[in-house]
Amino acid sequence: MESVAGHIDGAPRPSGAITFDRSLKGLTGIAVKGFLLSLITFGIYRFWYITNLRRYFWSRTTVDGSPGEYTGTGKELFLGFLVALAILVPIYIAIFALSLMSPALAAFGGVLSFVILYLLGQYAIYRGRRYRASRTLWRGIRLGQDGSAWAYAGMAAGWSLLTVVTLGLAFPFMRASLERYRIRHTLIGTARMDSTARGTQLLPYWLVFYGVVLLPLLAAAAYFLVAAGFKIPTDLMVAKPGKPGDFIMNPTYAGTPVATALTVLGFIGPVGVIAALLLIPFYRARETRLFMNAASLGSVTLSSTLRARQFYWPYIVYFLSILGFFLVIVLVFLGLGLLIGLGGGREPGGFSAVHALLLFTTLAAYLGAGLLFAVLYVRIIQARLWAAVAESTQVHGTEALAQIVASSRAPASGLNEGLADALDVGGALQIGF
Amino acid sequence: MQPITATGACFDGVSARPYPVTIRVTDRFEVRGEGVFHDWNLLDLRAADAAAPLMRVGPVGSLIRVEFTDATLAAVLPLRCPDLARRESEEGGTLRLVLWSIAAGVSVILVALFGVPLLAGVLAPMVPDAVEERLGAAVEGQIVDILGKPPLCTEAAGKAALDRLVAKLVAGRGLPGSVSVTVRRHKMANALTLPGARVIMLSDVLVKSETPDEFAAILAHELGHVATRDPTRSLIQSSGTAFLLSLVFGDLTGSTIIVAAGQAIVSAGYSRDAERRADAYAVDTLNAAGGNGAALASILERIAKDGDSETGAFLRSHPFTRERAASIRERAGPEAAGRRIIAEADWVALKGICPGLPAAKPSESKPSESKPKPPGPRRERKAPDEPVDL
Ligand SMILES: [Zn+2]
Repeated sequence: MESVAGHIDGAPRPSGAITFDRSLKGLTGIAVKGFLLSLITFGIYRFWYITNLRRYFWSRTTVDGSPGEYTGTGKELFLGFLVALAILVPIYIAIFALSLMSPALAAFGGVLSFVILYLLGQYAIYRGRRYRASRTLWRGIRLGQDGSAWAYAGMAAGWSLLTVVTLGLAFPFMRASLERYRIRHTLIGTARMDSTARGTQLLPYWLVFYGVVLLPLLAAAAYFLVAAGFKIPTDLMVAKPGKPGDFIMNPTYAGTPVATALTVLGFIGPVGVIAALLLIPFYRARETRLFMNAASLGSVTLSSTLRARQFYWPYIVYFLSILGFFLVIVLVFLGLGLLIGLGGGREPGGFSAVHALLLFTTLAAYLGAGLLFAVLYVRIIQARLWAAVAESTQVHGTEALAQIVASSRAPASGLNEGLADALDVGGALQIGF
Repeated sequence: MQPITATGACFDGVSARPYPVTIRVTDRFEVRGEGVFHDWNLLDLRAADAAAPLMRVGPVGSLIRVEFTDATLAAVLPLRCPDLARRESEEGGTLRLVLWSIAAGVSVILVALFGVPLLAGVLAPMVPDAVEERLGAAVEGQIVDILGKPPLCTEAAGKAALDRLVAKLVAGRGLPGSVSVTVRRHKMANALTLPGARVIMLSDVLVKSETPDEFAAILAHELGHVATRDPTRSLIQSSGTAFLLSLVFGDLTGSTIIVAAGQAIVSAGYSRDAERRADAYAVDTLNAAGGNGAALASILERIAKDGDSETGAFLRSHPFTRERAASIRERAGPEAAGRRIIAEADWVALKGICPGLPAAKPSESKPSESKPKPPGPRRERKAPDEPVDL
């Protein structure tokens, strides 16, 4: 049977491949327009910008020869955001008022708002995914997602608590459990997807991250606690003489184990942050590969050959671009500073043409940097990560795809994703499923 | 019209099964295949996004899709279907969206700058005392941190003298709640009023005061802010404005800079009207308590002069201090100069509340009224980053 639509007269592609159009033609235009219009519309245009980006990425990704199609609109997202604001603002005010009225609650005000916002955030992530699924078409078949967003938020909260209690060891199990819930409630037409992702499969990669980043930090913190006799001395930090607001370590602790422990912590902290930045792409790549391999739709399975370096490369390129940009900026300002030093020395406080030029350059550099980073972020990070995940994935058993039948359920409401945006938890493009 | 034919695949919107079809475009769009026949009006045809050479079309409002990669057909189709790229769901135009967004943003900014102060004035008297008390406790902690944790001055005799002075000033002035006045050791000549009738006098005011009436005048000025609930109103106002501004600018790069700048301008202090009201209250209070109301003018001028050397308070213009001093002297009346609010013994005790302060000048040696008016323009004593106005 001729199973691949575009292959009848087009260039043949291997059946079951997932491809992404790497030419990225037209993407820069979307990003520039999106950034500039978001700027002058106080950010309201971002809903239309996100929609344009999604339409672009969906339509440039083909599965078994047919591209995806995104049918969401900016208007839906914007209305959803307004409704979410109407829900969130009273909640914020209520938390604030509650902590003001009741002294007993005030101490827990921060914790309370964190818990409420965390639950709402997880809820919003799930609902946002539901919206995106219902706005995704492939071969005229609508995707969908069922399941309960509150159940998902509850699971996420429980697992997070367990992760904290186990000092981070439960983390991969949380990731796998939530992935299973998401995938098992994902539908293509009436066909339900399945995932066999297991925490134990993730554990080795997590342990690499854990051993390099978290364990030294935890050990240093434990050493500090032991040295301090399990209570943090209240007079450890004292005001710097002559500079109120600045704090230094109390000199009376110099030479004690507490001071040593603090020094060790101060050294391991920054090292840990750098190590974490270096290792996060590795873990994310391994996790994505595992999740892809674990997902299936009936007899249709996926296999991923995603390499960690495919995740590193975009970040390195992006980082180097930013570095280069700042080098240029520094040179420009050094030049201008020299001009001022030579010409404007006589009249202190005078506003010369050079000062105007400096002001203008600063503004231009600021705007230019924003625009450049927005474009580079979309083109380098988002597009390349997306391409890496898509192109390293292969669909097996594509014959069974023909059996997928459309569902009669109505598409989810646009209000689903508003909360995610209002809470700042939803990204425009979610890599993977 | 020249017919164009090509091959492709059709998806019926019901199943994902591809049907191999032949496409024929004349003045209609015909799709034929095994068990498939469609005949669409070219005006109804819409194209979904796709990367060339693939093209994907279907009738408007339907899930039926025809995919093909024929270059000739892809080139001709847009010429024959005028609405091929039209998107019914995104009608309305970007320009209209941009204009409406700007109008909405400007309106929120106007509300933040003008509506919120009005609203705060209405809301402030409605805040229950218990809430204001808690608010004051929270703010006091923050302010003390900002000031670098200045220690409290609690010398017993001085505290007793201060309490007697406060009782004398408060008597019969109908202040809300119980007033708490504390003195903290700090090098800045300033005083702060917080919600919940909390007044913090910084010790340098004590040092700069040449007569007890000058110190009492500053204290009475702060009590004037207490009487009108200015701190609560200012708190409601600045948080409301900050909230609205962050709503508008919240999602832009560098938004924090804009929001912080806006907040600094709005919460730089109470309005001039609020200051004039507090001045009038202070003069009336001192006169009623048998003190010298005009002392407020002399201490304001002295602090302003000393503050001149420090970096500038450009948000307030220089003539404001002179204008305040003039209206204070006028309100106090000519006979005010001879009066003293408390006895010399109490004043000595009060100055001793912070042990080891720099010695203040003796109160008789330099009567404030004989002091020549400071020449030249004066700068408001307040730097823009000080938390609460004097
Ligand atoms: Zn004042």
